[in-house]
Amino acid sequence: MQHFIIFIFSIFFVLVLSFFNRKAVVDETQKTLRVYGYSSFTSKLGPGYDLKRKFEQICNCKVEFVEAADSGVLLQRIKLEGATLGADLVIGLDQYDLQKALSEINWRKLDFSQLEIDEIIRPALSNNYFVPFDWGVIAFVGRKEDPLPAPKSLKDLLKPIYKSKIALMDPRTSSPGMQFLSWVYDAMGKDEGEKYLEQIMNQAHSFSPSWSTAYGFFSKRQVSYVLSYLTSPLYHQLIENNHSIEAFKFSEKHPIQFEFAGIPLDCKECSLAEEFINLMLSDEGQKIIMNKNFMFPVIKSAQVGTPFESLAQFNHLAEFKIPSVSDVDFLIKSWTSIRRGDKNAK
Amino acid sequence: MLVSFLDSVKYVGHLVPISFLRIFLGYYYLQSAMLKYTSDFLNKPKIAETISEFLPLSQAPEWYKVIITTQMIPQWQILAFLVTGFEFAIAISYLIGYVVRPVAVLGVLLSLNMIFIMGPAYEDLNKTFLALHFVMAWIGAGRCLGVDYYFYKRRRGLWW
Repeated sequence: MQHFIIFIFSIFFVLVLSFFNRKAVVDETQKTLRVYGYSSFTSKLGPGYDLKRKFEQICNCKVEFVEAADSGVLLQRIKLEGATLGADLVIGLDQYDLQKALSEINWRKLDFSQLEIDEIIRPALSNNYFVPFDWGVIAFVGRKEDPLPAPKSLKDLLKPIYKSKIALMDPRTSSPGMQFLSWVYDAMGKDEGEKYLEQIMNQAHSFSPSWSTAYGFFSKRQVSYVLSYLTSPLYHQLIENNHSIEAFKFSEKHPIQFEFAGIPLDCKECSLAEEFINLMLSDEGQKIIMNKNFMFPVIKSAQVGTPFESLAQFNHLAEFKIPSVSDVDFLIKSWTSIRRGDKNAK
Repeated sequence: MLVSFLDSVKYVGHLVPISFLRIFLGYYYLQSAMLKYTSDFLNKPKIAETISEFLPLSQAPEWYKVIITTQMIPQWQILAFLVTGFEFAIAISYLIGYVVRPVAVLGVLLSLNMIFIMGPAYEDLNKTFLALHFVMAWIGAGRCLGVDYYFYKRRRGLWW
């Protein structure tokens, strides 16, 4: 026993000693801004990488991205880690996450009401804690050469010709999926909406856990239509020089999705976090976000002279609202019960 | 001590295969501990991030989750030190065959915790390690090709 205790004690003694010796030579003067975001934002292909590079050039600090698969996981992590780890900035919450985020975590007040933004964006600034940095219009996307007639409404999607040709997302794990669910209820009301959802369960090809999986089905031509964004065809035009992809205008008003950034009250580098938000909302930052995320910028001037400008004129838009926690719970519960009751669930 | 080290092959030669496994495991833990020491594992809350990401999926009992949330995550630096230190201890002990039995018990406890906190990707690996440490403790794997044989010959007892 004595040998064992001395052995363990020696190991830790050497470890602690060498750690503090090593720490003494490390430069501790540089601050680190910890940014929590979803993976497609923080990856090299997303806007996060360029924003980080730009910011590090001007801030004499390091930006550290902490990735999470989706906003639910993101909130869970911040809640668990709390003040100990210090998330300085959270990026990528959408309007369905805001109330939950407010109820679970304390946030720092932000005032960006003086921003020169599009009038469409104004309602998204109505809260005191989160600032939108991009937005998109939810729409179904398909190919021009497809022999089937383009769907013109949500109800059209139930036609037998579209059976197993539509890729949708699970609203429990995907924010566009949640947008679709809310779109159905807003357009049809509770009873008719539920009937519609029961029918779409058998009609859709799949309900993927994420937008990227569903879009993969579309890209690989396993489905003809996918729930995506009005700006999705632009990606194919600008990056792949493919002009055959189009987004369809539906008779029901299209929902808008905003992406928000917020600073937790427990932040350690709060002023750096605010500066990072300022960069995101600058003309340069907005262009990076627009060109990498393929979403509309919130600052109007950023899209002037770009292909996004004409698309942003699309005005068949549903009213923007920030749903309460109970609204979101209702949607999720309703979806889960309909999905469970579906005998042919995929 | 060197004589008894070589003697061990003669007298407990049937344990040689287990000793190879022990040394291999020690090498694995040494690599793992060195990686933790040289990276920013001790400086940055990587372990707390991993835990908080996978905790909701963990099969751990509720009381254990409460301990993790209230004690381990806030004190992530102590936890990171303990994990790295124990890994170094297992590595050195297994490589030279010194105090293998009690260290293997420590390995069992470490693997048990790792199963719950390191996420599904490491669950199977840690379950395998748990069984290996258990076997090392049961057999007393330091008695062959290890320093433990020297003490075992002189002192006997459960610790060698």
